[in-house]
Amino acid sequence: MSACTDYQITRRRLLKMFSASILGMPVSQLLAQANPGKGRAEHVILFWNSGGMSHLDTWDPKPGRKVQGEFAPIKTSVSGMEISEIFPQLAKQMHHAALIRSIAGTNGDHGRAQYELQTGFGQTPNILHPGLGSIVVSERQPLGDLPAFVSISGQAARAGYLGQKCEAYFVGRPGEKDPYLAFPEGISHARGMQRLQILEKMNARTSGSVGANDMKATEIALKDAVALMESPALKAFELDEESPQTIERYGNTEFGRGALLARRLVEKGVRFVQVNRGGFDNHGNIFQAMRDHGAVMDPGIASLISDLKANGLLEKTLVVVLSEFGRTPRINDAGGRDHWAACFGCLMAGGGIKGGSIIGASDADGMEPAERPVKVPDLHATICHALGIDLNKEVITAQGRPMRLVRKEASPIRELFA
Amino acid sequence: MPLKPAIPFLAGGLTLAAVASAAAPDFASQIQPILELNCVRCHNGEKDKGGLRLDTRKGLLDGGDTAAAVVPGDTAKSELLVRVHLRPIDEGVMPDEGQALTKEQVELLDAWVRAGAPWPEGLTLTQRTPPAPKRVAMPEKAPASPAEAAAMLDDILKRENAGTPVITTDPVDDTAFLRRATIDLIGRIPTVAEIREYESQGDDRREKLVAKLLDHPRFADRWTVFMADMLRIRSAIPGGNQLLAYIHGSIAQGKPYDELVRELIAASGRANSNPAVGYLLGDDVNPMELAASSAQVFMGVRIGCAMCHDHPFDDWRQKDFYEFAAYFGKTRKVQGRQEGMVYTTEGDESAVLWPPEDKAAGKTRHPVTPRFPFKFEESKTKPAHLVRLEALRRGEQQAATSGKEAAELDALLDAVEPAAGTPRDPVLEEAERESRALDVHADIYRSSELRAELARLVTDPRNDHFAQAFVNRVWAELTGRGFVDPLDNFSAYNPPRHPTTLEFLSREFIANGYDLRHLIRVITLSDTYRRASLPATTPVVQREESEKAFSAATTRRMLGEVLFDSVVAAGHLADFKWPAGANPKEITREIRVPTGESAATPPPDGKETAMKESPAMRGDGYDLESTLKLDFNALLTKKEQGELESMRAMSDEQIEAEKMAAMNRDAQGNTMTFKTETVTETIDDNPRFDSAMHMATPAPPAHFLRVFGQPERAGLGEFRDTSSSLRQQLMMLNGRMTHEASRVGPLEPLHRILLKDHDLAIEHAYLEILTRRPVSEELADARALLAADPFEGMADLRWALLNSHEFRFLP
Repeated sequence: MSACTDYQITRRRLLKMFSASILGMPVSQLLAQANPGKGRAEHVILFWNSGGMSHLDTWDPKPGRKVQGEFAPIKTSVSGMEISEIFPQLAKQMHHAALIRSIAGTNGDHGRAQYELQTGFGQTPNILHPGLGSIVVSERQPLGDLPAFVSISGQAARAGYLGQKCEAYFVGRPGEKDPYLAFPEGISHARGMQRLQILEKMNARTSGSVGANDMKATEIALKDAVALMESPALKAFELDEESPQTIERYGNTEFGRGALLARRLVEKGVRFVQVNRGGFDNHGNIFQAMRDHGAVMDPGIASLISDLKANGLLEKTLVVVLSEFGRTPRINDAGGRDHWAACFGCLMAGGGIKGGSIIGASDADGMEPAERPVKVPDLHATICHALGIDLNKEVITAQGRPMRLVRKEASPIRELFA
Repeated sequence: MPLKPAIPFLAGGLTLAAVASAAAPDFASQIQPILELNCVRCHNGEKDKGGLRLDTRKGLLDGGDTAAAVVPGDTAKSELLVRVHLRPIDEGVMPDEGQALTKEQVELLDAWVRAGAPWPEGLTLTQRTPPAPKRVAMPEKAPASPAEAAAMLDDILKRENAGTPVITTDPVDDTAFLRRATIDLIGRIPTVAEIREYESQGDDRREKLVAKLLDHPRFADRWTVFMADMLRIRSAIPGGNQLLAYIHGSIAQGKPYDELVRELIAASGRANSNPAVGYLLGDDVNPMELAASSAQVFMGVRIGCAMCHDHPFDDWRQKDFYEFAAYFGKTRKVQGRQEGMVYTTEGDESAVLWPPEDKAAGKTRHPVTPRFPFKFEESKTKPAHLVRLEALRRGEQQAATSGKEAAELDALLDAVEPAAGTPRDPVLEEAERESRALDVHADIYRSSELRAELARLVTDPRNDHFAQAFVNRVWAELTGRGFVDPLDNFSAYNPPRHPTTLEFLSREFIANGYDLRHLIRVITLSDTYRRASLPATTPVVQREESEKAFSAATTRRMLGEVLFDSVVAAGHLADFKWPAGANPKEITREIRVPTGESAATPPPDGKETAMKESPAMRGDGYDLESTLKLDFNALLTKKEQGELESMRAMSDEQIEAEKMAAMNRDAQGNTMTFKTETVTETIDDNPRFDSAMHMATPAPPAHFLRVFGQPERAGLGEFRDTSSSLRQQLMMLNGRMTHEASRVGPLEPLHRILLKDHDLAIEHAYLEILTRRPVSEELADARALLAADPFEGMADLRWALLNSHEFRFLP
């Protein structure tokens, strides 16, 4: 059953626990339910770059063409693979990473494209699709005490019909103390625990009498909350355990601290970490902006990949660097590039990905995919495949409607995997 | 692979089937109707949910994504039978929309499969519309009072429930009623003074209470939250805050719902001069979106699905949708020179063209002629509720003076009001009026004849969809579930369980002039509203059925806004409860100091709104509980300056930030550079919280209100999330608001009582928080808590009470 559908123990779910009826599988074959697929990944770190990150100035340089812009391509640790000069450190890690250069997006509007890139579905009325993180934590049991899904420096997509429990745990600024994880100031731990005992006794009086299911659900959430407050794993949220040199190595920016926090959280078993950052809607002055972006992103992502490799987690951790679309190859009068969804790229590393691969190619100017176009939902299928999530899985929404977690026509990029 | 069903009840179902008659049922008369009524709608050639078609024998045998639907002769291997054998509450049950199959129908299907599932050669089934739901008789005469209407409502509901095996619970006691009704009507728990007043009253105290609550200033606050959900009001959209303030004002003044909706649909102009225009701006003045939302929100019909294709399972065609959308076809959004200056106007050409863009290859697309696709019920004699409405409206019209005309003129002139009290030159005034009238008819403020016509049609008293959709929502807000669910999906395929009750209430709503307060009065005075919920020991199926029948209450948690305001009320946080200087606190924060240098290029622009959304952590990290109060009156003042308009829509802090930003720019427009310094200062941390119902809405993501289910209001069909979450618990356990509400402040009554008498203080705390007195066991426990340190012990007690189930869930 789903790991997180929600705390609302609806009758449907209560029964489900006993009857183990899972949609997408004949009820008559339930007992034969196999382990999830053969994906190797256990965790995902998604760097979400909001605003539409230029593909030509990052993963898909076009040297010698009019559309090239200010950046020269640089060699990477993979022979024949070149990326933009704004990522000098990352270039040395590319033997762990794969590039997809032929994503064929369909939407040039920020809101709609963000929705589609984060959920794998188009925006439609009357249904709110869950984001990638919510899908992952609904399908993979939590490991350890920490919330299975953490979003740093901004909001991840919502959990939609997967329910509150699949929403991301929100960290405003990486490394800053979250006041909600400890008893209020002035309330000692002993007193806080005593208060919880009083509360437990009070609740025991009411929960049997009325509304049992809702109250039960609230109680489970309460137990989880207290377990989290008490967990030694909470230390993972604090960056002062890291040496100043390490923080510096990641760049000591909010983004760098976010990347470092992502590593620490994955080490403690968090399934899905999303690190959010904006500033990519560069309709003007794009090269200065991208140079600055590179300076921030390069040390963070490169250090993360090399650290994950060093501590053996890279094989189990899929790192994804993604944005809602690319930018026009043509450079506009303001020295910027505008929205371009027809062709863009992304980076993936670890999690069973074959390092050094390049999937697809754009045409000479990065206008359209020239080889192996990748549909947006294919990215989701790929990530789910990496984690061994059943691509045909259906869940039942609160309205009783069966919904697929991954679009039916999506297929994973199988050649990415070893 | 073992095919033995894994589930006991399932096995029971199959055994049952095994004893059924062995003769093959007749396909045409017995099997075909079941499939055509219940299955073919979603499993056919055009729409094959789960990859399955059930309209042909081949589809049946091929099966869907999971397994063959039917294996002739083998009921256990036939997934179709497995699914229809599940109980209505099980996951995977079919049909998953609409009514469950009856036992007889399931037995027929079983017998048919065992007989080899015979199917006439080459037959393809077609979907059948289900018969209209059964009704019971309506009362013969009109109720003389709201109380009588409430009694009629109970009676109709009881008759509609007749024959169904449901449990009817007793009404909750009078004090629980006080708490329930106060929470529902004014959005917070009752105060001790209100409890005492209620207790001192006689037999008619429930009726008096409801009357008092309907007149309470907070009534408009609470029901603005309801309307904001329904209309998807978003402060972040131009005109959003004005729309919010306008709705609040409309509820406060008791504007009839039909009038309100006419204003929303027909509005033109700018948000600051005509705030109703915020409804159009909410959907970005897109005819298609407006058509979809107007049908779904105001009539509960999801015609929007026909935007792209003929409705897959309702009877809407794409052309119907386009004709409906054409009423919005000439409406345009215009962006003024200044940011935030957005208004609507009417163009000459319709933007709604047929055929649709994707089907227009090589064809000329023509403007669509508007047509209202919803039929009114026509009858030879005028129905009684319409006669009553007309009589009511005639009376109102007579009561209104000729001021009506003046008011209309005002609406036309729309723009600047002459400053009150200033003597005016009549000649000058006349000239000014004329020039403004010209302006009104000029392009920018042109009003829409098409939308005025649509507004009339939607709100026509003969349009049953209109009243029923609203009544269904109000009913659900007060009882926890609608007659029709999802609330905005009325369809022949999703019929109400209690059609007569719904019709009765809707007609009362119409006959009483679409008065929200009257509707709420009738509902809250009914026995049905007062039902208790069923104990935990009730079997789940019976519980669910009883709740659906409204013969037992559905457990409801307070809305986020209500929970917030209730903690504020219980903890006396609306005003300072500490003397000045009693809570000194040292805070460290970062400030930006100008370096004196200036940079020629502005920093990378902050347009990337996705990131801007994340709330900045305040010095103490608790800003996810803060509320910045909007001034609804100021939002509705008719000021011309666009700058002022956008300023009003901002919080004081935002305005301050704006000013700072302006100061940062030097004469050449260059931005000064800053360095960040850390300063430490001592502040008076005297807690005070504003109502959550006057802030910009929806709150930022991760805010207390959002964590407790406030919807994002981005798309249609989004309802409040009522599930529990870990984050909710953390915010209540460790949040600043609960903490401060628990501490006993010297300026609150409890402080005085606690110094005198512990038992009285405990009783007071229970009354303030749970609206009841402690039972003896609770009193004993609380006494022990207070023994060592009465003030700290009381804080512990209050903290636990505020975190308890009993506080959060309605009685």
